[in-house]
Amino acid sequence: MKRRVVITGIGSVTPLGLSVEETWRNLIAGKSGIRPIAIFDAGTFPTTFAAQVPDFDLAPYVRNPGEFRKAGRNVRFAMAAARQAVDDAGLAAGRFDPERTGIYMGSGEGALDFFTLCQSVAHGTGPDGKVSAAGFAEMGFKRYDAICELEQEPNMPANHLAAEYGICGPTYSCLTACAASTQAVGEAMDLLRIGELDTVIAGGTHSMIHPLGVTGFNLLTAISTGPKDQPWRASRPFDRDRAGFVLGEGSTVMILENLEHARARGAKIRAELTGYGSSTDAYRMTDIHPEGRGPAAAIRMALQDAGVRPEDVDYISAHGTGTQENDKVETLTVKLVFGPHAHKVPISSVKSTLGHLIAAAGATELMTCVLAIRDQVLPPTMNLETPDPQCDLDYVPNAARKARVEVCLSNSFGFGGQNDSLVVRRFVP
Amino acid sequence: MSRRIVITGLGAVTPAGVGAAALAAAVREGRSAVGPITRFDASRHPSRVAGQAPDFDPSEGVRKEQGRYIKKNIKVMALDIQLAVAAVNLAVLDSGLPPGDPKAGQAVLPTIDHARLGMVFGTSFIPTELDDLAAPIQAAQGADGQFTLKGWGERGIAQMFPLWLLKYLPNMHACHAGILWDAQGPSNSLTTSDAGGLLAVDEAARIIRRGHADWMLAGGAESRVHPVLVLRYCLANRLATANSIPAAACRPFDLDRTGAVAAEGAAAVMLEAADVAEKRGARIYGEVLGTGAGTTTAGINACDADGRAVATAVRRALAAAAVQPADLGAIVAHGTAFAPQDSSEAAGLRAALGPAAETVPVTAIKGVTGNMGAAGGAAELVVALLLLGGGRVPPILNCSRPDPAAGLNLVVGRAAPLRSDLVLVTSNAVGGQAAAAVVRIKK
Repeated sequence: MKRRVVITGIGSVTPLGLSVEETWRNLIAGKSGIRPIAIFDAGTFPTTFAAQVPDFDLAPYVRNPGEFRKAGRNVRFAMAAARQAVDDAGLAAGRFDPERTGIYMGSGEGALDFFTLCQSVAHGTGPDGKVSAAGFAEMGFKRYDAICELEQEPNMPANHLAAEYGICGPTYSCLTACAASTQAVGEAMDLLRIGELDTVIAGGTHSMIHPLGVTGFNLLTAISTGPKDQPWRASRPFDRDRAGFVLGEGSTVMILENLEHARARGAKIRAELTGYGSSTDAYRMTDIHPEGRGPAAAIRMALQDAGVRPEDVDYISAHGTGTQENDKVETLTVKLVFGPHAHKVPISSVKSTLGHLIAAAGATELMTCVLAIRDQVLPPTMNLETPDPQCDLDYVPNAARKARVEVCLSNSFGFGGQNDSLVVRRFVP
Repeated sequence: MSRRIVITGLGAVTPAGVGAAALAAAVREGRSAVGPITRFDASRHPSRVAGQAPDFDPSEGVRKEQGRYIKKNIKVMALDIQLAVAAVNLAVLDSGLPPGDPKAGQAVLPTIDHARLGMVFGTSFIPTELDDLAAPIQAAQGADGQFTLKGWGERGIAQMFPLWLLKYLPNMHACHAGILWDAQGPSNSLTTSDAGGLLAVDEAARIIRRGHADWMLAGGAESRVHPVLVLRYCLANRLATANSIPAAACRPFDLDRTGAVAAEGAAAVMLEAADVAEKRGARIYGEVLGTGAGTTTAGINACDADGRAVATAVRRALAAAAVQPADLGAIVAHGTAFAPQDSSEAAGLRAALGPAAETVPVTAIKGVTGNMGAAGGAAELVVALLLLGGGRVPPILNCSRPDPAAGLNLVVGRAAPLRSDLVLVTSNAVGGQAAAAVVRIKK
């Protein structure tokens, strides 16, 4: 017998707010979180803007803020989001069974010290343009810091959370690019279903708004470069003139429990997770299969897992990055799986205002599904000004909409071909 | 009833050589593959020894068009990814799934449904090769020789290799291996440091059990023989500095250990639903009876003194396997030779096994290989399946004065008899995850 899995707490820090409610309010209002990059001087980069999390004080969220002095933005975001989720679930630190609780985070890297790297590489570069590791190390051993270096490893958010909450049960950290936190929530759900755990702290956290992150995406021409004077217009999912995604950052963390456990402690239940599907494109390194073979398989697996038919789905939270390729293929995929119902089911991409939170995107978008069910309102796809004949579905353009929302599908398709989908629905006892 | 899961293919590229057999032979013969670092000039690194991967051809044995794909894409594969691809290829070829004939338009593995083949890999955030940054940084420097972000944006970025990011992403191992073998099932990349390879086995087994796949490639790949990583782990005081005799540098559970040895490699196993494997008459190396995981609460750069993370993982694996500690035939421990990690692991094993900790023979292979990071747990599983079936538990290389505080039946000097066909394999990361698996090996 599979156990039912419910969401009992949510926490989030995003470019649109330092809490779940603030982010949701701004999303529904269609406000954009995209601004000129302030984290570092990106003035001469091809892309000069991103969706950044506002500055905040970590002290209210952790026992000992001093331990996080050298932590990356990813860890700081995760600690804040997790504390909110734990509080929202009514779980104080002492109320975890340390061995029956797990952690599953889709996490990106911590802060890389770009200047130190560059200075050390420059110091080690010889006249032949090759870097001598000895020259690199000569400068590096003076400049690098052990803890800053360790904080770059992507399991650090999970490790900090385990230490903060005294959790010695199973913890996982995955990095399947843009699909990571959808995958994390899905695998966490499986751990709860089979009774391996009672509670999992699951979600995602990431910031690639650092010099090498922006450089890497600029080189791949994956991120939008304009309009520079109106950056809020740069993320245009499903619009004909879309030209790439906009980098975002942040974290969303959820408390997942099996139903019996949640009931036994009288927890408030936010929604029920009922389906998870995961697939791989196995097609090409950067191109998506033209018929959306991988994404379609993940969506079908999730629907089947949830025991729902396509026509039962009331809303799809799209991956919707705003690249030409993704939005076209995602549209095609929805048509392929949903048949005639494709034109009736509303789809939107919160990346139009939130930016792309990469490893944190999936959990954040799942959060918007839970809130859509709660408030019976759909977040809009902003900047959808010029329709694209290849994207001809209902994308909830430019304004939030009241709607009957009981069952939602949330899609994430990772760079590199990992596809994950989740089905979440209103909890009905 | 949940599905039984067997192992039908093994692949490894380790400092001991190409192939699972090369690894098993080196461990059996007690031959260390640790040598002086030659990959880069390590003269200014305090730790100058490593387990380096041998020269290897990631397209060895595969179909011609697979070889072409690898050749074409090798420039976008960091060494970690090349190692992973090679290990996966070896594991698939070893599994006996017959490759199809591309001339006849057959699928790469025509006897299987490719949507039922997936993979989970333990990987890591791969640091950039320093040479990739040299020219862009030079271009970015101003007339005064100073590096500025302004210069980087104006002149540096244009000098970078356009696909630079793709070369290092921690999910590209599965991307390339997935394309090569048309693996359309679930895939994941676990970034849990030393525990990655074994946690991948844990998750892959769960995916088969829940019915989302019939075949899962599970394993890990990592190169720690990199100027940035050797620097990082030197700064954290985790690496051996006894450089004079490299073969003796890594001394798991030995009183004279001075730290771990950086290494690199990859290992992969083909997990298969037992019903499917039996039906096709596959050669079966063993069965995954149970896996478990745990985590340290001691902080990101510490090991718990009471070994709670390892104990939790081992207890869970034993419970899942329905195996009593006293019934274990042997333990292949993590044993990095970093003293706090060794003692935490020993404490965890004592806590989970109780009195059996004093009797079950414990071995470790890092004296031979060094610490291959995310590849370690998978490589240790390969050794358990390929070597221990002979009935002998190999001794821990370089453990000549076993630490009595370990309180374990450490196998030293000469091989010990295997007590049963049930083998426990454990992994743990400093400051993070622990994993354990109980397997029944074919004797």
